[in-house]
Amino acid sequence: MSTSLGELRLVQPSTVKEAVAARFEHPGSRFIAGGTDLIVNMRRGIIRSDLLVDLSGIDELTEITTDGLDVTIGAGVTLAALAHNSEIAGRYRALAQAAEAIAAPGHRVIGTVGGNLCLDTRCIYYNQSEWWRSAHAYCLKNRGDVCHVAPQGKRCHAAFAGDLAPALLVLGAEIDIASAQGVRRIPLSELYVEDGKAHLALADGELLVALHLPLNPPPSGYAKVRLRGAIDFPLAGVAVALAASGPNVNSLRIALTGTNSRPFLVAGTEPFAGRPIDEKLLHELDRLVQKQVQPMRTTIASANYRRIAAAALTRRLVKKLFAEGAA
Amino acid sequence: MHAPGSQPKKRLLRLRLNGRWREDAVAERELLVDYLREVAHLTGVKSGCDGGECGACTVLIDGEAVPSCITLAVRCEGRHIETIESLATQGRLSRLQRAFHEKLGTQCGFCTPGMIMAAAALLRHNATPTESEIRVALSGNLCRCTGYVKIIESVQAAVEKPHDC
Amino acid sequence: MIADPMIDSRISRPGVPLIDGVEKVTGRARYTVDLDHADALVGRILRSPVGHGEIIRLDVSKARALDGVVAVATGDDCPFTYGVLPVAMNEYPMARERVRYCGEPIAAVAAIDAETADRAISLIELELRRLPAYYTSQEARAPGATLLHDNKLGNLEREVHHEFGNWQDGFATADLVREEKFSCAEVNHAQIEPHACLADYDPITARLTVQSVSQVGYYLHLMLARCLEMDSSRIRVVKPFVGGGFGARVEVLNFEIITALLARAAAGKVLMQLSREETFLTHRARPQSDMTLRIGMRRDGKITACSCEVVQRGGAYAGYGIVTILYAGALLQGLYDIPAIKYDGYRVYTNLPPCGAMRGHGSVDTRHAFECLLDRMARDLGLDPFAVRRANLLHAPTRTLNDLMVNSYGLAECLDRVERASGWRDRIGKLPAGKGLGMACSHYVSGAAKPIHWTGEPHAIVNVRLDFDGGITALTGAADIGQGSSTMVAISVAETLGVALDRIRVIAADSAVTPKDNGAYSSRITFMVGNAAIDAARKLKAILVDAAARKLEARPDDIEVVGEVFRIDSGQQASLPFAEVVKAALVDRGAITVSGTFTCPPESQGGRHKGGAVGSTMGFSYAAQVVEVSIDDATGVVSVDKVWAALDCGHAINPLAVEGQIQGSVWMGMGQAMCEETRYLDGLPGHASFLEYRMPTAAESPPIEVQIVESHDPFGPFGAKEASEGALAGFPPALVNAIANAIDIDIDELPVTPDRIMDALIQRRRQARLTSTLKVAS
Repeated sequence: MSTSLGELRLVQPSTVKEAVAARFEHPGSRFIAGGTDLIVNMRRGIIRSDLLVDLSGIDELTEITTDGLDVTIGAGVTLAALAHNSEIAGRYRALAQAAEAIAAPGHRVIGTVGGNLCLDTRCIYYNQSEWWRSAHAYCLKNRGDVCHVAPQGKRCHAAFAGDLAPALLVLGAEIDIASAQGVRRIPLSELYVEDGKAHLALADGELLVALHLPLNPPPSGYAKVRLRGAIDFPLAGVAVALAASGPNVNSLRIALTGTNSRPFLVAGTEPFAGRPIDEKLLHELDRLVQKQVQPMRTTIASANYRRIAAAALTRRLVKKLFAEGAA
Repeated sequence: MHAPGSQPKKRLLRLRLNGRWREDAVAERELLVDYLREVAHLTGVKSGCDGGECGACTVLIDGEAVPSCITLAVRCEGRHIETIESLATQGRLSRLQRAFHEKLGTQCGFCTPGMIMAAAALLRHNATPTESEIRVALSGNLCRCTGYVKIIESVQAAVEKPHDC
Repeated sequence: MIADPMIDSRISRPGVPLIDGVEKVTGRARYTVDLDHADALVGRILRSPVGHGEIIRLDVSKARALDGVVAVATGDDCPFTYGVLPVAMNEYPMARERVRYCGEPIAAVAAIDAETADRAISLIELELRRLPAYYTSQEARAPGATLLHDNKLGNLEREVHHEFGNWQDGFATADLVREEKFSCAEVNHAQIEPHACLADYDPITARLTVQSVSQVGYYLHLMLARCLEMDSSRIRVVKPFVGGGFGARVEVLNFEIITALLARAAAGKVLMQLSREETFLTHRARPQSDMTLRIGMRRDGKITACSCEVVQRGGAYAGYGIVTILYAGALLQGLYDIPAIKYDGYRVYTNLPPCGAMRGHGSVDTRHAFECLLDRMARDLGLDPFAVRRANLLHAPTRTLNDLMVNSYGLAECLDRVERASGWRDRIGKLPAGKGLGMACSHYVSGAAKPIHWTGEPHAIVNVRLDFDGGITALTGAADIGQGSSTMVAISVAETLGVALDRIRVIAADSAVTPKDNGAYSSRITFMVGNAAIDAARKLKAILVDAAARKLEARPDDIEVVGEVFRIDSGQQASLPFAEVVKAALVDRGAITVSGTFTCPPESQGGRHKGGAVGSTMGFSYAAQVVEVSIDDATGVVSVDKVWAALDCGHAINPLAVEGQIQGSVWMGMGQAMCEETRYLDGLPGHASFLEYRMPTAAESPPIEVQIVESHDPFGPFGAKEASEGALAGFPPALVNAIANAIDIDIDELPVTPDRIMDALIQRRRQARLTSTLKVAS
């Protein structure tokens, strides 16, 4: 069974404008940044493209800048660079922790911020070889018309498993999206759609070029569960940003990954403002998270476990951030 | 060899390989691991999985340890690639190679080149890594023989001999 | 039998690096896919997309017609079955008429490049009629189930019913009888080198050379001759460097024969490189097992009887299945003194890739059940886990109920050593919340005493050569697959001769040069090949001593050999350097080749009962280990903080390698215990990558502190026994026992993944709530 790539051309633009133009001119082409996700998927035959637009030669994508209002991170910044950046680690701890927990060191050296945010969704019926998928019957996400995870349903349930997104969601990130028409800026949360087959709200040819973070976010953290200490995607990943005033919550934001087809901000955390962080609150948070996550049988670990683990991580992170804030 | 009429489109790739510049005609779809093994005949670079999962193919690109099985060769234009074959110089094993040999950091040897290259990248950035830093740096390189115990000890032994090449 | 209980230990006790280690650390080591294949065709295999089906039509004409395709092969090209056990060869290299698992080879092509080969595979037309497929033992055994193999009723490959001693009385006299069910998931060897084979057929000379990843070149040689109907003298099998085995390659594998068939059809060279997914599909690993275990125990911890039922989900073909199900029962014995045993084993055919032998073959899952139950009963009786093991020790020399020899037995010392090293007595029961200690014992054979093929030949042969250059070359068929067997041979020869280790060169596993060896399995090499190497070296030494005596005009008895100097009267009168002795020895006779052999005597070959040969061995290794865990009760994640393992290997010929083997086997046990599992989705592997088959990484792997125990086996080479398998089976139960110690939860299924821990914790909370509600209600 072959695991090599099919016929392929690579164009290497040096500006965003050229990249977007190249992509626009060639329907069916793909952007490639680090390639840690794309090349694997192409070797599996689940993504096919005969032309790749290489983003690695575009210098403007690899900068981290501060302008007094916000911090801008280029989509081409590598995960390793992000994890090792002291300003990021100091100000946006959830982001640094998430970056450091992605895959393995070799992937982090080449993998990028943009690539992690635009990671393809994953499923045990999808991330398989061509032989496997054809033997099983193709799935809704790839050449088929039934989602094997939920055959009665109408949509694909493949799960999003990027680590950075929840951290950026709780930190209030906005993103710049470039296209032939120019650049538009949207909240990161608007990038994602709860549909495993089309989870990115990007028009064909649009490119995520940068993200912006407010300068003074509340303290934050990220945690994930996985079977091994490296390589694995998160079975569930949680980011929390918590501002406290005295014994009470001032603001609380929670975002999740690994459980749904998109990373998402947990809704309904506003009423916690002004309340003390006690067992009652933690219990309510637990219920809130368990209610909103929708893990399906897309991984080898059970869906119920991912639900429980997501809630448990949330409780723990909230407690930890509060304790650190109080200290 | 290629079937008549199926010649893949190639382009000239110029890069520095183990210290020497070279040029080769390379298909644009060619993975770095295949270029290194089949074109440059550097078979010390191993392939253990179907893409990005085991680290056996780890090489250094401009000093950073990277899995060569998910890297397109043509994206390495102008860069410096180092493989296991570059480490022993003038008939001497590098300190990591010697340590892996003497401390039994290698059993079947198949993960060894990638493991040593990942360790080499670590020691260039961090001359005195802690045990947990070593574990993290090697966490993308799977080994089925050693339980990693003697691999960690090998890297630690190499750290203790910083001036021995 | 030759035996020398004492070793003149010239090699420093820390041990020596592998003699082929430099090749490995420099990248110069050539594995199968690294061999010169510039002019080789690319081989590819068409595999079954269904779990069970009848082949209605197979049309390869379009593939054959494709430009660049040189050869196509199907089941029609090989009407011969292959396998290792002569009684259980029911598998063709490529399916004929019927396919029995997803991924079974059906046809193959050799083409000028990978792209053409892939294209050719896609042009093969295949029509299958689906048959009912069974993916669990239970389904396959259900009444009325379609038979996978027509002569195997109930889809049972083998049933075993063994009774030793009066088990009814044993249970009747017990103070405590407890029965539990355990289930262990199927796991895979997951050696890092994917499968590969390079076959070269020369039509002019009609000779075939096959280089492959095999652990069993001899069996491969036999099966190539059988399946290709070739005179075996025209075949040469060479083992290049092999990137790990662990049992994955102790059978002849379908792709090896297919590659040879293609090479002959193509009249040339074919390289077959399997993907990681195909390597997983080839499988032959440890089956999913269900154990029902019952133990009777006296108040003082003494076991009075044991009964055990084992059901193994064996996959679609026989392979080593008969041996596996026999081992699972036979190796209930040999570790402890158990006065009565009843064993019922069922090896089941299912529509999954065939299982086979994997490190700790047959013993691991039953040992897991046994050591877990032993701990639980110790708890019931208020006994310490160490005490309950100590209450059941054997006393060597002895024979077990099933007639296995135990000549050396270092388990008591293993227990003492890990108890002390782990600080058990001071720490057990006093650890902080969420932390626990657990322990378990295990053992394994040092080679099966009865060979699979009864030929009347010695069980091991080593040739040692000496020529004018003074270099000593040991020729062995034993396959070094990374375990260091060639280094062991070099040390054995050097030690016996008293020469420097670097004077020895080892050439291994090339049928044109080296004497036949049965292969690297059941940890037979150190014991058998080691003894043969010593025997050969002794013969060479006698020749050298005679030559020195002639030269020095002395009697051979007066010659003293010190290092590489042969002398008389402590060198006062005369001495000869090695080079001079070699010259003298070569006079008249020229180059010297001596042959050393080893044969397991009949009394070592097991009981007379049916299947009694399985489990028989010249000597068992013994192991004890302590595992310390931390459990996160919010996420169910278990971390292993440290492992202390002691293993009695008789004598450590190379302590460095022994340590490495113990660490590797303990860690492999950890993988099985914590995170590794093959799972099938409608018969297709859900695990066929290193992302989904989760062997542990360096990040979460624990320190493993090793204690080597030397019981000096009377028959082992220098007193040695095996060291690479015995410790594996102890890890899973030690982990489960540690978890019980930490959080009072008994887990009955492997692997102990976080979701299983969480399920157990939730169930306990529910029960606690229920109990308190009931209390309130009453």
